[in-house]
Amino acid sequence: CKKSFLDRPSTTLISSENFYKTQADLRLATANLYGGSPWWQWQQPWLLLGDALPGTAFYTYNGDIMQLYSRTITSQNGVVLSGWTGLYNVIGQCNMVINAINQSTSASLTPVIKNQAIAEARFIRAMAYYHLAVYWGAVPIVTDNTKLVSNALLYRNTVSDVYKFITIDLTFAAQNLPLKDQAGRVTTWSAQGLLGKVYLTMSGWGHSGSRDQALLDSAAKYAGNVCKNSGLALFPSYYDLFKVQNNNAPEDLFSLQWAPGVGYGYGNVLETYYSPSNKINFGNSGGWETLQPTWDLYMMYSAKDTVRRKATIMLSGDHYPELDQADGGFTAGGNCMKKHIVGNNADNNSPTATLWSSPEDFAMLRLADVYLVYAEAILGNNASTTNADALTYFNAVRARAGVDPAPMLTADTIRRERRVELAFEGQYWIDLVRWSYYQPDAAVAFLNAQDSNHNRQPFSYDHKTGIATRDTTAAPAATPATINSYTMQIPASELSTDPKLAQPPVPYY
Amino acid sequence: QTVGISGKVTDADNAEPMTGVSIKVKGTTTGAVSDINGNYKIMAKPGDVLVFSFLSYQRQEIIVKKTNVIDVKLNSTSSDLNEVVVVGYGKSIKRKDVTGSISSIKGNDLRQTQPTTFDQALQGKVAGVVVQQISGQPGGGVSIQIRGVSSISGSNSPMYVIDGVIIPPTSDPGNGGNPLNSINPNDVESVDVLKDASATAIYGSQATNGVIVITTKRGKAGAPTISYDGFAEQQLRPKELPTMDLQQYATVINARSQVWGFSTDAAELANPQYLGKGTDWQKALFQNAPEQSHTLTISGGDVKNQYLISSTYFNQQGIVSGSEFTRYSVRVNLDNKMTDWLKLTTSLQLIHSGQNQNATANAGISNALSETPNIPVQYPDGSYGGNTNTEGWVSSVANPVAVSLITTNNQTRNQVFANQSIDITFTKDLSFRTELSGNFDFNANNSFSPSYTFGTVVNGTNGGGQGESQDISWTLRNFLTYNHSFNKFKINALAGHEASSDWNESVSANRTNYPSNNVTSVSAGDPVSATNSGNVGLGGATESYYSRLNLSWDDRYLITGTVRNDGSSNFPANNRWALSYSGAFAWKISNEAFLKNVKQISELKLRLSYGLTNNQNVPGNSYVGLLSTQVNGLGTAEFQTQLPNPKIKWEQTDYYDAGIDGSFFNGRINFSFDVYDRLTNGLLLREPLPIYSGTTTGYSPGAMAAPYANVGSMRNEGFDFQISTTNISNRNFIWRSDFTLSRNVNKVLSLGNGGSDASLTASDGGSGQVAEKTVVGQSIGEFYGYVFDGVFATPKDFQTHALPANQAGVPYPISPNSGGIWYGDRMFKDLNGDGIIDSKDETFLGSPLPKFQYGIGNTFTYKGFDLNIFFSGDYGNKVFNEVSVSHTDPSQTTAWFTSVLNYSRLALVNPNGSASDVNNVYVTNPHTNIVSLRNDNTNENNRPSTIYIQDGSFLKCKNIKLTYHLPEGILSKIHVHSAQIYANVTNVFTITKYVGMDPEIGSWNPLQAGWDQGYYPQPRGFTIGANITLNK
Repeated sequence: CKKSFLDRPSTTLISSENFYKTQADLRLATANLYGGSPWWQWQQPWLLLGDALPGTAFYTYNGDIMQLYSRTITSQNGVVLSGWTGLYNVIGQCNMVINAINQSTSASLTPVIKNQAIAEARFIRAMAYYHLAVYWGAVPIVTDNTKLVSNALLYRNTVSDVYKFITIDLTFAAQNLPLKDQAGRVTTWSAQGLLGKVYLTMSGWGHSGSRDQALLDSAAKYAGNVCKNSGLALFPSYYDLFKVQNNNAPEDLFSLQWAPGVGYGYGNVLETYYSPSNKINFGNSGGWETLQPTWDLYMMYSAKDTVRRKATIMLSGDHYPELDQADGGFTAGGNCMKKHIVGNNADNNSPTATLWSSPEDFAMLRLADVYLVYAEAILGNNASTTNADALTYFNAVRARAGVDPAPMLTADTIRRERRVELAFEGQYWIDLVRWSYYQPDAAVAFLNAQDSNHNRQPFSYDHKTGIATRDTTAAPAATPATINSYTMQIPASELSTDPKLAQPPVPYY
Repeated sequence: QTVGISGKVTDADNAEPMTGVSIKVKGTTTGAVSDINGNYKIMAKPGDVLVFSFLSYQRQEIIVKKTNVIDVKLNSTSSDLNEVVVVGYGKSIKRKDVTGSISSIKGNDLRQTQPTTFDQALQGKVAGVVVQQISGQPGGGVSIQIRGVSSISGSNSPMYVIDGVIIPPTSDPGNGGNPLNSINPNDVESVDVLKDASATAIYGSQATNGVIVITTKRGKAGAPTISYDGFAEQQLRPKELPTMDLQQYATVINARSQVWGFSTDAAELANPQYLGKGTDWQKALFQNAPEQSHTLTISGGDVKNQYLISSTYFNQQGIVSGSEFTRYSVRVNLDNKMTDWLKLTTSLQLIHSGQNQNATANAGISNALSETPNIPVQYPDGSYGGNTNTEGWVSSVANPVAVSLITTNNQTRNQVFANQSIDITFTKDLSFRTELSGNFDFNANNSFSPSYTFGTVVNGTNGGGQGESQDISWTLRNFLTYNHSFNKFKINALAGHEASSDWNESVSANRTNYPSNNVTSVSAGDPVSATNSGNVGLGGATESYYSRLNLSWDDRYLITGTVRNDGSSNFPANNRWALSYSGAFAWKISNEAFLKNVKQISELKLRLSYGLTNNQNVPGNSYVGLLSTQVNGLGTAEFQTQLPNPKIKWEQTDYYDAGIDGSFFNGRINFSFDVYDRLTNGLLLREPLPIYSGTTTGYSPGAMAAPYANVGSMRNEGFDFQISTTNISNRNFIWRSDFTLSRNVNKVLSLGNGGSDASLTASDGGSGQVAEKTVVGQSIGEFYGYVFDGVFATPKDFQTHALPANQAGVPYPISPNSGGIWYGDRMFKDLNGDGIIDSKDETFLGSPLPKFQYGIGNTFTYKGFDLNIFFSGDYGNKVFNEVSVSHTDPSQTTAWFTSVLNYSRLALVNPNGSASDVNNVYVTNPHTNIVSLRNDNTNENNRPSTIYIQDGSFLKCKNIKLTYHLPEGILSKIHVHSAQIYANVTNVFTITKYVGMDPEIGSWNPLQAGWDQGYYPQPRGFTIGANITLNK
């Protein structure tokens, strides 16, 4: 036979040897990093870990979610496993793209084109490592998955080195991403905003009482640059920001990109799982694990804060004309989460959406978040601040929500503002972890106080009187928090596979 | 006008005269016996039929013509050493001349157990071959391992060669089906199992796990023979797993509601004593089911042309409703000697089969175990029952009976096996064969899931799909054979070239939102919902050069050498070719002068072999990255689907074998014993890397497929032993026994770069914890977990037993509250003695691989009756009773096994004291292993442990068959040559300690073997059948 008789390339899949040749190839490769299956396993942990752990979301009929809520997380917890898996799936896809582009020798790819695509992948990889560092602390850093074929077992890397790795990725991204791109794709402002947030997070690590001023300054520098020079502004309506029609509003610095009509394992499932009724869902299915707000969250809303309250949580009796429009709107029968509940196919004119594929592109980094990061970085180690920049951007967030401006900022006011602004966006646990780095006792006491005040409990709401009632007789719902409560366990199966993960972390640099 | 007939009876093999051969005139009482010189005399008239019979020799019938002298040569049957063995590439030799390790089984023996597929019948019949049923569903899969697990790449199955058509080692079809189920067991003449490297090397790169050569029946010169084989079987519903009836269910639910503080069906279940038995879901799902088979065969021919044509209809209904298998097949085998130097051989088989896989596809059995007894199968109005409880946390199981009946999942297969060869004889010694064989496989599947509402279980959207695929593979072989004898020296040499290639094409389409559940073609679905996929193109290819040399001297010393060079498209260009070679030596001791005159020893032979074989068993293109198109909010995107390994190369096995074959007392005892050692290096495997690699070997959305890699090395050592004896033999009664015993010890020697920490693991779906682990120094895929040590039952238990700890090493508190460890939680042994229970307390809990597998067959012949009883068994293996995990955990909504009734019952020492005081509580039934009704699982009670890893040893009576041969006297009057009727029972009984449905659990994946996930059991069946042959 001819020598070529034994050459049998795949007939259904593109071989990477024939790809990464043109800019169009790179756009297809990086598009994959923004949503769909790579992010599929992280979407639910993003919400559940971010909001059930800190006592924002309540649901007890599912063992895994109950463990988050009651701090009895075992090493078998499915949400934790899914989170760990999902983030490393994202990292694997990013690494493959980065390395393939670096190795591509195609003449049609200029350094600018290559670097922009690599910058997108490195931004997204940094986003994944950021969540890993916040939730699990020391984790193994993987940059070339093919090396694992011959050397699979890694040690964890130290927390400070994981953060350093993230800042290097983001710095590259900030330098090589464009000022503007197709809606949904990241820009240099996305990278600078996240870089500010990462520096702010890092500033407390390894410190006691106060934070590292140099890192706080870096945080202020990058976040401030986004606030002042990006030309971006908050979307005018907080309420409408979370509607499908406003997917990828300029305020969204990074949001996951979900297509309707794709199958299980590829689409956004948040509405399907957590909504209160399948009538307001795509495919009229689901509502299996209705997430409720806790008393603790409810109490954060001031009397004037009605727009954000109604956009974030439904109280019993609330009417939502945009949901289930065919039946004249939806009236909540109990308290539950509203964000991510966007209605059914007809409400969104999205005939192909299914229970496994809501078209809502939810944000993991918003401009409002960066505004509040900027204010927090300026506040830094001060007990309070009236700095003009800090107040300007902090109050821009409040103004959009229709609440009164704050005259002065403290750590507590910023934390409260972030909680209200970003509730059910997977952010509050990140805020508490950041706090726990440099004031562990206070952060632990905060969790325990929630419980001793019965604030982690759900509540009933009487629509006629407007009176909310919680049950204060029940025993504490959660086991007492310790500083260990701020670190997730590595899944049991992963530890069995790689016993080195149980060893102390090692430096990466 | 009776005349005197005389003649001489000789052994066809060695031309020696045979003494004591019985000669009868058919249909009369006239008889005679041959004398010491083989001579006989008998009176008969022209037209009479003389029947020559002798123990262990084929009976021969000769019609008396005008001549008075009839000399007869009898062929031996029972001496295994005289049977013909297929060694590949056109060559068949007598067993006594074999140098390699080859076991054979005749078609008739194969059919004793009434198998649906021929591979099922190998169990216990061939030493060294471990056969385990993967699914008892009609046409279901069977895993076959020859001498252990040598490869961990998922497929350890051997290569199959059916009349020269190569069927590559099969892999998991994913639906419990069997890729070999289109082969009709009735067509099989013999099956030869090639085991050692000397025997397999000629087949090259796909033969490292052994070769199973199937030879089908062929026509013989003579008048047309018409025969019919048929049977009907009734398969019985299997043993049921013990599940609660309605009263028991209500009792448990009520007790649990009291503890948990919320209820499910409080009103309905309030008074258990007034309730009936409720629904027995297993009873509702399982049924007795019929099976039938009819085969008509016509064969015959003249000296130049012979033919055999057979047609079969086979149908098996499933014992689970919604499963069925049907096969129609036609075989045409032709042999044409066109001229003295040219011979044409044609083997052709056409098959149409259909399989209803509904029961497997819909997890019916597992749903039957999860569904509660308070739900009726059907309401009086005919609608199907379902859970009506609206509390969200009650997990709703779709009515398994309804699902199996209203959904569709059919697979249709049309298959053609064809082999056309031309033999050209140049000289007496030199010949050439060119052979083209093809396997044409046309598959269609069609599925539909209707919308339905069973109580709160709603499938709002119906959906269906259709798929068509074609798979064509062909092989072209050309080889020269040279044969010569110089006095005592004989030579047989062969050299050739071979190329094979695959081509496939497939398309599938799916839609949802059909306007009606009755119109189920894809066209009827909503066009907006349409999804489709397809593929056309070349698959893999191999090319090989090979040669083999057989030498023998004085019929005492035999040598075989084989060299083969294989190229495979599965490897990158620089690793594409691999050389295999083997050598074997055999010494026929019984032909030495010092044994030649020992009458008791008919045959005695020693065999030694060594070989190096290569395995290419990875899919194509595993060495490059592959991208698949997906869609997300940005539009089209390219997803990296696999982690490539550009260094992938052939897996190599060093194979040593030593064997001895013997035949004593004129063939009354035949045995064969082999010891072997296989050392495999560069094991090919889809490597289960840590999750942080972003890869998976299972299902994990967004993860890349794990890479194929050459990982480590492994050894299989063992022996196989086979003996058949004729215990009693006289004119009316014969008792023969067959016994096989196989022993294999598997040991992993290295797992590559991971060093001593490296492991390959499989995790239990329920707990997410590792239940099977492969590490260096142990055998592949050993069970792994905790040692159960009772439940926390007394205050003392909390002092003497360690508590589980979180990752920081801090034990969880002793408390009845959420997050605490409390009475009724399971205690595990603190194996490392560090005072806490964590992953360091896991240990190896046994292997799913049997220490021994054996088969025992006995045949009793009395006058016209044959009684065949066959047992097979496994000894020393463990089974993971995974199905029991969720069904015995009271905190789950599927825990309806009756063992849950014995949940840990908590009581107070002082009834007025505190229920949360550790010193005031105890468990009243401390010997239970079922946890209490607490709604908390901080203790991770379900972690894999000795509770679920159970002894899987068994002895199974596979069949008892009684056959009656109708008397010749009657038959000859109605022109019937032979007729027999029989009754058979399969899977008669099983002796085992295992508490699940069936301890015999096969698996495609050696890293996850022996997991009982509630699979389709093998039914017991009662058969009656007949076998009639007409002669002109």
